[in-house]
Amino acid sequence: MQVTLQTIIGGVSLGAVYALVALGFSLVYRTMGLVNFAHGNVVTVGAYLASTFYLSTRLPFALAMIVAIGVTGLIGLVIERVLRPLENRDFDLMLIGTIGFGIVLDALIIMIWGATGRAVPSPVPSPPIDLFGLRIRTYDLVVLAIAAVATVLLVLFLSRTKQGAAMQAVAMDHEAATAVGIHVGRSNATAFMIGAGLAALAGGLVGPLLYVSPALGGALGIKGFAAAILGGFGSIPGAIVGGLAIGILDSFTAGHFQGYSELVTFLVFTVIIMIRPTGVFGERTVNRA
Amino acid sequence: MRYRIALIALAGVAAWFLPYGLDSYAIHVVNVILIFAILAVGLGLCMGVGGQVNLAQVAFFGVGAYATAILTTRGGLGFWVAALLAVLATVAIGLVVGTPALRVQSHYLGIVTLGLALAFTNWVTNAELSGGAEGIPGIPVPTLPGIDLSSEYLYYYLELIVFAVSLGFGLFVVRTGLGRRMRAMRDDALAASALGAEVPMLRMVAFLLASVYGGLGGVLYAGLIRYVAPESFGIANMFLLLGMVIIGGRQSLIGCVVGAVGLSLVRETLVDHPTVAQIGYGAVVVLVVVFAPTGLAGLPARVRASPARRRGRAGSAAQLQPFHPYEVDPAPAAGGEPVLEVDHVSKQFRGLKALDDVSLTVPEGEIRGIVGPNGSGKTTLFNVISGLYRPTRGRVRFRGRDLTGRAPYRLARAGMSRTFQNLRLFGDLTVEENLLVALDRSGTSQSWRYLLRPLSVLRRDRDLHRRARAVLERYGLAEFAALAPKALPYGIQRRVEIARAVAAEPSLLLLDEPAAGLNGEEVRQLGEIVRSIRDSGRTVIIIEHNMGLVMSLCERVTVLAGGRVIAEGTPAEVAVAPAVIEAYLGDSMNVDDLPVADSPVAPPVADSSVGGFPVGDLPEEAAK
Amino acid sequence: MTGTLIVERLTVHYGGVSAVRDLSFEVAAGDAVGVIGANGAGKTSTLKAVMGLIPRKVGVLRFGDVDLSGVSARDMVRHGIGYVPEGRHIFAGLPVEKNLLLGAYARKWNAETRTTLDEVYELFPVLAEMRDRLAGALSGGQQQMLAIGRALMSRPQLLLLDEPSMGLSPKLVGDILAVLLRLRAEGLSLLLVEQNAKLTFEATSSCLVVENGEVAMTGASERLRHDPRVRRIYLGL
Repeated sequence: MQVTLQTIIGGVSLGAVYALVALGFSLVYRTMGLVNFAHGNVVTVGAYLASTFYLSTRLPFALAMIVAIGVTGLIGLVIERVLRPLENRDFDLMLIGTIGFGIVLDALIIMIWGATGRAVPSPVPSPPIDLFGLRIRTYDLVVLAIAAVATVLLVLFLSRTKQGAAMQAVAMDHEAATAVGIHVGRSNATAFMIGAGLAALAGGLVGPLLYVSPALGGALGIKGFAAAILGGFGSIPGAIVGGLAIGILDSFTAGHFQGYSELVTFLVFTVIIMIRPTGVFGERTVNRA
Repeated sequence: MRYRIALIALAGVAAWFLPYGLDSYAIHVVNVILIFAILAVGLGLCMGVGGQVNLAQVAFFGVGAYATAILTTRGGLGFWVAALLAVLATVAIGLVVGTPALRVQSHYLGIVTLGLALAFTNWVTNAELSGGAEGIPGIPVPTLPGIDLSSEYLYYYLELIVFAVSLGFGLFVVRTGLGRRMRAMRDDALAASALGAEVPMLRMVAFLLASVYGGLGGVLYAGLIRYVAPESFGIANMFLLLGMVIIGGRQSLIGCVVGAVGLSLVRETLVDHPTVAQIGYGAVVVLVVVFAPTGLAGLPARVRASPARRRGRAGSAAQLQPFHPYEVDPAPAAGGEPVLEVDHVSKQFRGLKALDDVSLTVPEGEIRGIVGPNGSGKTTLFNVISGLYRPTRGRVRFRGRDLTGRAPYRLARAGMSRTFQNLRLFGDLTVEENLLVALDRSGTSQSWRYLLRPLSVLRRDRDLHRRARAVLERYGLAEFAALAPKALPYGIQRRVEIARAVAAEPSLLLLDEPAAGLNGEEVRQLGEIVRSIRDSGRTVIIIEHNMGLVMSLCERVTVLAGGRVIAEGTPAEVAVAPAVIEAYLGDSMNVDDLPVADSPVAPPVADSSVGGFPVGDLPEEAAK
Repeated sequence: MTGTLIVERLTVHYGGVSAVRDLSFEVAAGDAVGVIGANGAGKTSTLKAVMGLIPRKVGVLRFGDVDLSGVSARDMVRHGIGYVPEGRHIFAGLPVEKNLLLGAYARKWNAETRTTLDEVYELFPVLAEMRDRLAGALSGGQQQMLAIGRALMSRPQLLLLDEPSMGLSPKLVGDILAVLLRLRAEGLSLLLVEQNAKLTFEATSSCLVVENGEVAMTGASERLRHDPRVRRIYLGL
């Protein structure tokens, strides 16, 4: 029991990071029906930017993070602008287009920061908390808190602001959205920017948890995407549940299968998707003649 | 044709003499390129032709290579036995990876295949059997009597032959029935299924082909490099392979080869600057996707098309010819055995009743009309009959057999065929190919013929072409045979769809609003065509809003309202039935409580009255 | 500052086929004009082309003093033109009130928006009852009212309506007619594209009958409703 709980706790902080990545996927998918396969690479860029500002310019961790979010937001804008002609048209082509961006970003990362990784010290040096015999790292709590705040802000933005409502309207019906005067392209660009910002946030947060290397984003991206699908693609609560589920699954497989954890995670994921393709919160779509 | 043969011969000769001009490093590069070309053709078959996103091709490659390595070094088998088993192992893995395609498509399939590819690399880097991160060295040289395959020059010829055979086989598949069905499925899986294409099996075939090519590539790689390690089969190479296929043109196998050769050469010239090369091909992938989605292979067609478009529509010279009626079937027409029995069928969508206890029986040789206000469940009924929806309750019997809830393709193969309200022609196939898909009744399970009896496949295909030409002639469509359906006027597209549905030789034909969007003359011709189809011994059910057509064409009419049958009889009978008038006038029926999401996007009923049949008339008091 | 909508020589091409050819018409300030014809005649294309939602060629496109030929679809609403799309196209996943507020997207959300909202609720009391429901959960008739209400939220001078009667029972078609007549009485100009000829004749003062993308007949609605040729064109007989 103790061990199980400890495993869950171990998975939750990483799960929160997956949830942030999944949120980015879902947000972009909701607004433009696009799966951004470069999302993982944006996470890597975010992780490197945040750690660079934090380690070399001695910026406070929070400030380094904000700068990283800003820069990746710009990257998001560029991706959206280039792929805009394909919006609402060929799904598979857009998907491949974002893979192309991923390839470019991957190479740029290696060019700028080199092929070897770096370790980022925890910005919260205080010792782990002991709660009923369970060890909880303080930084894990920080990650959870920031992820929760980001999620709440996102939900408030979507539900309370005019721009947020417009963004959802575009997702539901871009023609009707155009007719009421919404600039669909600009709305999509905003969505992409926020998505990239979330990726950077995830990358920045995960830096001290994992080792920052060019391969970081690939793994995070795929698991984040799996999380988004698991929860129900496009759904915000789904992204959170999916993220935590994958995080905990990861933590269990790492404990039980050591080196083979990735293998087991993806096999489990595949089986779940085959049983329930729409995920936990997903809508059932009916083929129509 | 002669030009093409000459070109192939020239390419063959050039390939044969290529090694004479190359040093030992260059021949090594060429050997690697050939392997990538084989992999790209396999990926092209799966993704471009079959429309199945497959990001696990590099894992198939890896399975082939690793299986060869393990079986030779650990199992002590000879190279060729190991190679055969390796390809079989890859196929087995390919089928496993492809299984999710039965449930999910598009980006879902992308992530699943990518995840499984990662699972594979994860396994080989950790397992002792596969040598862990160090991989497996010392794979024996494949032996051929009298030929020393340790020489890369001679190995080149082995690869060249495998490559030529696999490319040729791929092209053979694409241009004949199996490939046509796969392309139809890629364009519109639902319509393909309604025409009898076994979509689940075709998806598996796509992965089967991809894995065979992946396995072959892997075996050749093991024999060439004689050392396997995890990094050769990682995500980076997967994306490289994807780049090859996209840049070359995924829908053309030759394009895939061109992409593989081109990208490999670029990578080779930039071998000292791998990151620059990566930025380059990543950028090219993005540019190709945005500006030339058909890839390099599509460019000639685009270049040719653009002046044609400026001059005016291509094919505007083609003329629709009159329809030639079918021979009248001497068998007794109406009043025979029931072809279709719908027995107390209900269909619910999220609690909303689209069909409520609908029963109807259609005897052989009848033209049955189904009418009703919008949202009354007509198209839902068609979707239940043709297997697109499984009814919540009730049975559907077709020619005496209970086929409730069977897959659409099974119903199609049992002799049911349909058209769609919004036209579902295969956009990337020509008009003739659209018909060929319907005409081709050979099962996908017959695909073994492609390997063992290729000549019989060719003969069959020639026969199909002959029959397609006959159908085109009959429907006056001969001049449009080679055109893309999207370029044709709407009325002609409608006719193509009917011709396609009848080409499947159905005993029951379902027409969903065939007159929508047609002008007066076209509607008259449609009536003539439908009557002739019936006279040739087929039963027809027609959903239609054009009341004039329904009244003149149908023997009996079933009226739906609010998902229920409210009247049935001859046109004259239902036109005076109080329930019908009431339904159309909306006095007591509350049609608007129907599910909106499900209501077919049908045009409203024409506002007028025909044959004493008030249709969509407003009650007088509403005008206040 | 209401003006006349002038459309001259409007042509629309769809994938090599011309859906609308050289169509010309006017909607005077406060007037209601109908466009009727069989399914596929080019009615919806006409309306979408006027809105700029599909590529078009047009000789003249003016509303009052403003040349609209270069105005993008999203800015049409800023020139006083409201659009009710075919098949309603409400934002199904958002609550009714959000849908309406988004109708006023191009304006500032302030006290005036509140007033307009109340006016719309007054016109469609059922929407007020359902204000917190998801729009997708409304019935067909309610969705149509929502679509009209959303367009009204921008306080347009001209309302373009695409088949508001589609999929509705005769009783609800009557309700829609009543709404259209009331809007007209309040001075709103209407351009109504419909298949339901009877509704159109009741709601408008003049009509165009289109067939295969061209104007087949024009005239006063009152006269056209008794013209047997309309029925012929219309039924495609």
